[in-house]
Amino acid sequence: MDRRAFLKTGGLFLVGTPCLGGLLVMSAPRTAAASGAGTRRWGMVIDLRRCPADCTACLDACRRENNVALHDDPRWDVHWIRKVTIARKHGKEERTRTVPLLCNHCDNPPCAQVCPVQATYKRADGIVIVDQHRCIGCRYCLIACPYNARFFNYKGGETWTNTGYPKRSHGVAESCHLCAHRLDEGRPPACVEACRARGTGALCVGDLDDPDSEIARLIADNSVKRLRDDLGTEPKVYYIGL
Amino acid sequence: MSDGTGTIGRLRTFVLVALPIVLILAPLGLSLYDHVFARDALEDGDAAPFLEFPAERDEGCVRDSAYMRFHHWELLREVRDQAMRHGVRGEISLDRCRTCHASRERFCNRCHEAVSLEPDCFGCHYYPASPTALTSDTAPAHGPGR
Repeated sequence: MDRRAFLKTGGLFLVGTPCLGGLLVMSAPRTAAASGAGTRRWGMVIDLRRCPADCTACLDACRRENNVALHDDPRWDVHWIRKVTIARKHGKEERTRTVPLLCNHCDNPPCAQVCPVQATYKRADGIVIVDQHRCIGCRYCLIACPYNARFFNYKGGETWTNTGYPKRSHGVAESCHLCAHRLDEGRPPACVEACRARGTGALCVGDLDDPDSEIARLIADNSVKRLRDDLGTEPKVYYIGL
Repeated sequence: MSDGTGTIGRLRTFVLVALPIVLILAPLGLSLYDHVFARDALEDGDAAPFLEFPAERDEGCVRDSAYMRFHHWELLREVRDQAMRHGVRGEISLDRCRTCHASRERFCNRCHEAVSLEPDCFGCHYYPASPTALTSDTAPAHGPGR
């Protein structure tokens, strides 16, 4: 082998080996994709035009599904989803509107960034969730959340309205987790189900990354707003008609 | 202590030095003994607390009973982390335990009490002390918001 042939073969090997390795890694089946989480990016659309002011179907369904106790005392009440009334003046007339508020499942969740024990984290499918087993109850996430979507459990749940889902003990932070346990089983969240059952259909949960999904179509066809879009938290709850 | 080199003096010195050491180490030794003893009692079939197994035992548990006896909590912790962190909800769960071992009082608690353990799983996860215990299924009313 002459010098030229040696250099050519050697160079080919030098460049080829990493390329072949990269190809092998890329073609290998990914274990993360095999599980439910990671293949989707969950988000929610709330169509306020179809959301009646006096309807509380989603609130009730959430409490029933997730054993969120109500103590009838604003100091201790926990709301995973709640309705607030906002007033806005258009010239002389004042319009009020009730808006359902829940965890926005931000892509840059401030609550997860400040959690000192990684009890709050963002799942691979974008759901921001609290691991109650790990939470030490420091309440830093309550302060960090710009949407007031987090609540501290001062009193603990009283009873199980849904025995298939655990309640929380006192001393942990909680918030909406988009019914992750239901989404993992392929069922819609309790609030969405209740909203559909009532016939209003104001809530929609789906995969934001899938352009054919109902939620992507709703976002594309309507003028949508996100709460405090300027903060850079990249919330994944979209409002129509806000 | 003028006769510190005598037999009585040596004995006294020995007692003065040894007694505090024994007293200090005694709780540690006792707890170790207790730990070993409790474990032996569980491994020994006769001394182990009587657990009420379900009638249809032929179906079999998710693991063999020797593993479950000492490592079921490791298994539960693993499936818990898989479900919480990765959204992978397999077939193993406390809910599935409940389908066979219906009574927590007659199954879980007997061992936990024998080894002085108070796992706090059942404060949040539904697992009634006896299968006949009922929970209220009344739905709480909604709140006025904050």
